[in-house]
Amino acid sequence: MEMDNLYLANLREEKQNMWGGLVNYFRKRSMWMLYYCTGCGAIELPPTMTSRYDMERLGMGPMATPRQADLLLITGYLSVKTLKRVIWSYEQMQEPKYVVGFGSCPINGGIYWDAYPVINHLEAFIPVDMSIAGCMPRPQAIIDAFEKLMGEIQEGKAIGYKRYEKHYDWYKKNQDAVLGRTEAVLKPWNDPFASNPSVDELMALEKGESNV
Amino acid sequence: MSDNILARAGKMHGDKIECREKYKAQLEIKTHRDYVLNLLTWLKSERYVHLSFMSCIDWIEENEFELVWHVFSYESKNHILVKTRLNREKPWMHTAINIWPHVQPYEQEIHEMFGVYFPGNPDLSGLFLHNWLDLPPLRKDFIAKDYSLALYTTDALGLTPPFDDIDIVEITAEESRDGE
Repeated sequence: MEMDNLYLANLREEKQNMWGGLVNYFRKRSMWMLYYCTGCGAIELPPTMTSRYDMERLGMGPMATPRQADLLLITGYLSVKTLKRVIWSYEQMQEPKYVVGFGSCPINGGIYWDAYPVINHLEAFIPVDMSIAGCMPRPQAIIDAFEKLMGEIQEGKAIGYKRYEKHYDWYKKNQDAVLGRTEAVLKPWNDPFASNPSVDELMALEKGESNV
Repeated sequence: MSDNILARAGKMHGDKIECREKYKAQLEIKTHRDYVLNLLTWLKSERYVHLSFMSCIDWIEENEFELVWHVFSYESKNHILVKTRLNREKPWMHTAINIWPHVQPYEQEIHEMFGVYFPGNPDLSGLFLHNWLDLPPLRKDFIAKDYSLALYTTDALGLTPPFDDIDIVEITAEESRDGE
């Protein structure tokens, strides 16, 4: 079982490589983030980035495109339509890549847990390295989470991207269950106007019905 | 009503409509489905040139949908609600696209969310929902909670992954980098 554990395997691999620890040190000190402003969490980022809490002292900064970013921030609830774009963005990012979920919504759906377009558990679709509880988390909590994530990167624990690679079939199965549905979830919808009738046809139909 | 629209509407349309002054600057006009376009055209010629919004309400106990057009005049600053009821089994409505072209996305959205059909509207394709095969979601007989439970929960997805890499195992001293 131990051999199957990705974390231990990663640790051994890093130990064999004499630069492993050093590379991790530099990785954690230069994280470029792509923030996916899906929900309300994005409003906590400006104070975190600007002079009051000053994220840049940790070596973090915003990045324009997924291909140049290391860190994907999911700031708030995710609708099914956005999930598809998030997966595209995540798969475009170069390794090593890390995902941080903001607030309760990526953890368990938050206040939108029973809404029809909002997914409940982000970690079923892409690997999440760090989740911040709260609705919404304050900048102090965000900075705290980033510092913890940096610690995990140094220790070689933030290996979500390796998990995604190894267990891609499991993630893909969940993604397909939500995005690639071929049948209705509850009750299929039979559109009474599927044949696109014209006004005249509809009027004639209603007159016929009223005569009967 | 600064422009006396209530009295003029009564004089013009007689028993075809049912008027009520809801607030000082808000008028409600109820009419039959086939008379709505006449009424909207008349209102537009009476300087009610702005269609602010169009919406739909599901009165499931009365088995009816209610469509509401919000019309506004920049001159008299009045707001008129034009309302009509549709049969819930086969809801369809004439498109108002020839009076206000920008009503097209409103009708498209109502078609997607309630299943009301607008013959004459050139594009009634899906606007917001992804790969939707269930009942239109804003109908009252669509239970959003059941949908969410059937699709997004841990039971439905099998959240517990078939692998144990998520658990960080205890590391022995020799495995740890600090032990080097």
